[in-house]
Amino acid sequence: MQWLLLLAAAPLLAAEADTLARIGAQIEQYGVLRADFVQTKQMAALKRPLVTSGRLVYSRRHGVLWLIEQPYRIGYVFGDERIVEIAADGTRRERGLRDVPGLAQVSRVFRALLGANTTALREVFEVSVQGDAAKWEIELKPRQAQIAQFLIGLKLSGGRFVDSIGIDEAGGDTTQLRLRNTQGASAPAEAELQLFGAEAARP
Amino acid sequence: MTAPPKQPRASTAMQLRAGLWLLLALAVTLVCTAQFAAAGRVPLQTNLLALLPATERNPVAEEAVRRLADAAGNRAVFLVGAAEPTAAAAAARAFAATLRSADAFRQVIADIPAFDPGQLTALYVQHRFSLLAAADRAALASGAVGPADLEARLRRKLYTPFRFGLTLPPSDDPFGFSDAWLAELPLRSLRLETENGLLVSHDERRTWVLITAELSASAYDSTLQQGVAAAVAQAERALRHAHPDAVLLRAGTVFYADAARRSAEREFDLIAAGSLLGMFSLLYLVFRSLRPLALGLLAVAFGIGTAIAVTIAVYGELHLITLVFGASLIGEAIDYAVQYFAAHLGAGAGWEPLAGLRRIAPGLTLALATSLLGYGALLLAPFPALSQIALFAIAGLTAAWLSVFLLLPALLARPNRRDPAAAVSGAQTFLNWWRRRMPRRRCLLLGGLLLIAAVPGWLRLAGNDDVRLLVARPPWLVAQEEHIRALTGFGNSSQFFLVEDATPDAVLAGEEKLAARLDALVAQDRISGYQALSAFVPSQARQAENYHLWQEKVFADEGALRALFARSALRDELAEHLIASFKDSAGHALSLDEWLQSPLSTPFRHLWLGRSGPGYATIVLPQGIRDVAHLTDAAAGLAGVTLVDKAGSVSRLFRDYRQWGVLWLLGACALVYGVLCVRYGPSQAAVTLAPTLLAMGLALGAFGYADAPLTLFNLMGLMLVLGVGVNYAIFLREGGVRAAATLAGVLLSAGTTLLSFGLLAFSSMPALAGFGLTLLVGVGMAVLLAPMVLTFSAAQTACPGDAC
Repeated sequence: MQWLLLLAAAPLLAAEADTLARIGAQIEQYGVLRADFVQTKQMAALKRPLVTSGRLVYSRRHGVLWLIEQPYRIGYVFGDERIVEIAADGTRRERGLRDVPGLAQVSRVFRALLGANTTALREVFEVSVQGDAAKWEIELKPRQAQIAQFLIGLKLSGGRFVDSIGIDEAGGDTTQLRLRNTQGASAPAEAELQLFGAEAARP
Repeated sequence: MTAPPKQPRASTAMQLRAGLWLLLALAVTLVCTAQFAAAGRVPLQTNLLALLPATERNPVAEEAVRRLADAAGNRAVFLVGAAEPTAAAAAARAFAATLRSADAFRQVIADIPAFDPGQLTALYVQHRFSLLAAADRAALASGAVGPADLEARLRRKLYTPFRFGLTLPPSDDPFGFSDAWLAELPLRSLRLETENGLLVSHDERRTWVLITAELSASAYDSTLQQGVAAAVAQAERALRHAHPDAVLLRAGTVFYADAARRSAEREFDLIAAGSLLGMFSLLYLVFRSLRPLALGLLAVAFGIGTAIAVTIAVYGELHLITLVFGASLIGEAIDYAVQYFAAHLGAGAGWEPLAGLRRIAPGLTLALATSLLGYGALLLAPFPALSQIALFAIAGLTAAWLSVFLLLPALLARPNRRDPAAAVSGAQTFLNWWRRRMPRRRCLLLGGLLLIAAVPGWLRLAGNDDVRLLVARPPWLVAQEEHIRALTGFGNSSQFFLVEDATPDAVLAGEEKLAARLDALVAQDRISGYQALSAFVPSQARQAENYHLWQEKVFADEGALRALFARSALRDELAEHLIASFKDSAGHALSLDEWLQSPLSTPFRHLWLGRSGPGYATIVLPQGIRDVAHLTDAAAGLAGVTLVDKAGSVSRLFRDYRQWGVLWLLGACALVYGVLCVRYGPSQAAVTLAPTLLAMGLALGAFGYADAPLTLFNLMGLMLVLGVGVNYAIFLREGGVRAAATLAGVLLSAGTTLLSFGLLAFSSMPALAGFGLTLLVGVGMAVLLAPMVLTFSAAQTACPGDAC
């Protein structure tokens, strides 16, 4: 299926399509990925870059757990239906993805990035790839003007897993995400399922 | 046509009458032609709203109902679905492109214009210190937001891994209050997402792409309906060809109106052709001559033509329901002519036109009077559907009746050459059997037994007052609309709140009081949401209150604010900048005018009614309503807020009419009895009325047995059964010595009536079908029981038991 789509949609070279498929396949073999992250944000409003770190859990079925540990504890769940913010004391604030225009797409892209789900990404972005499945770089440019208004582009790089994600915003702000100690697993742990919350209850 | 030379005066009189008829017929033809030419076609009205009575006490509410229906009515919505998202997008774009090439649409939108968040933020950013989301306002007002909370909010703003939806930069909105306000705007209440510039919805099997089309004319314009139908059919063919697996769903007033018009026209053709054909066969069977056929057709054509001319002259148009009903009136309009033919036949060689006419005139006139009484009562109903039908019937029947007096004597002057006895032998046999087998006691017994049999049916009767009785809704269209509603969340509820006050700002304040109650309903999941202008533009008082809260809770301690910014690594000048813009914006609240002038308001313009009635008015549109009773409670006690529920009001009105209809039917029975008393005296009047009353009782019983709901339209049908049934009894009585010929005439009339109204029972409009069925059963029983009149009046008539 993924193959068909890639071929059908492509001015993409066969070799690139092949590389993308391999990258997707080697990440897709895991139901769950866990990693530590360091995020560096450069914003016009800030005197110095904002650095946050923590860990993330990517579950193909449940979405993404984004747990910031430094300098403050705050967590997010990016699910199919909602985004949940988890405060340091554990209180959850839910936001339905349908309540806010564009939110669903942002959430989907974010999950697709971490899972290197090139099929989903190709719906939104022009995708180009360099390197091979062992060491690769993917560049994403938004297809739609709506997204291009605030996003210039994305850069992903990695090997077996996604190692870094770069985000260039139209306003000049940039974000660098580095992922370390990535490990694959088949299912989330019990504690993680609890954090996924209502999302996990769905079959 | 030369009259017998021995009666020159009579002949002149007849020619004068015929000439008068010809003049009238010419006039009617001219008027109809002029009316059709003026409208460019038959001015047919397909809008259900035009049929419904004014139900709202408040004229502004009626206006609001009309405007909302127009806003919804000039749009058509399509969903193109396919398993693969890319295939769905391609199919939808191709479909939209085909539609776009048709004249029927002013605009077809698949790719939504790039939503410019800048437009939205530019308008609101300058007024941001006058705006607060409900939850934030409550939190600030209660004092729950302290310096620590502000710091947490700032942190949240900076640390979010992604920007979610519409957001302002941290320099403009460090605490996310404005983001919260923007997120709360009811911009998308639908279950749709933007993907690749298209609005899409997903279910388990397919991706669905939304296409909206704006019609180039009214949805009720039949030329436009045909254009839309052709364009959609063409686009659908192209879609099937290029994307065989794609599925198309459609919804919109125009499709219902088009389907209703088509089925009404089809039914008109069917009923008119069916009743004319059947009528001619019956007439030919009895009279064995083409002359009555031709004359009957002339009388009917004159009747229907007059009815159309008068109705259009009064209403300016003909409603579908009137058209279909009009076709069935053919069967009733011919009755007067049939009585004349029957008298002609019965008189045999001794026929003398004017003398014959004089003999049947009282019966004909009495029959017309009872029919007019029945329809006259309908004419007074403050309900366009009923009064238009009544006017149509009154004009048509009067013209048909007039034809008998003016036209027929001149054209049916020569005596009948057919042996009367042979022509009416069937009727004679039935009559002989009735006289031999049905003495008074048996008649009473039969009546009693039939009544007893009907009683259990009466006990099972249940009412139905749904406004949808008036429209034919093709099930496939209803199913597609339901599917679209499930996928998109588009509601089609007809309930809304009307908010009125002296000034626009007072209206917004009124909306806010209502909104507080509606928020509670949303929280309890009684409604899914609501659209209100005050969600985009709060009242001036509310905005002043918001500004005050900003002042007190955020900007009161400027030093703390600067310190917080410094701690959070925000650039130093940002705090100064923020404080300055807060001070500058004092007194610069967002005004309704400003919002209405912004392109942002375009999708919500239908909520603003502007100056109406004594002041200004807006609409608040609740969505996903589970129970209207909650809405009634929400409006209770709020000055200037009215819940408008047109469908509910009409259904309530139908119910009231149905309940009053029973009394009104009884009153009509009494009135007819009074008219009969004048001619026959009390006891014979009762005898004349009895078979009809019995037939009405049986018709009601039959409905109970069939578990068919009793509607206002069944009662209308019974009203007509009363008129027609009594006619038969009158004709039979008046026939006297020529009973067999009269009975033949009555059977003939009944045959034609049953035929045309019987065909009406197959109409796709539930109201007309119920009406037709009532007449089928009622008139059928009335004619079969009509000879009772002869049994009970035998003593008064001079006729012996044998053929007269």
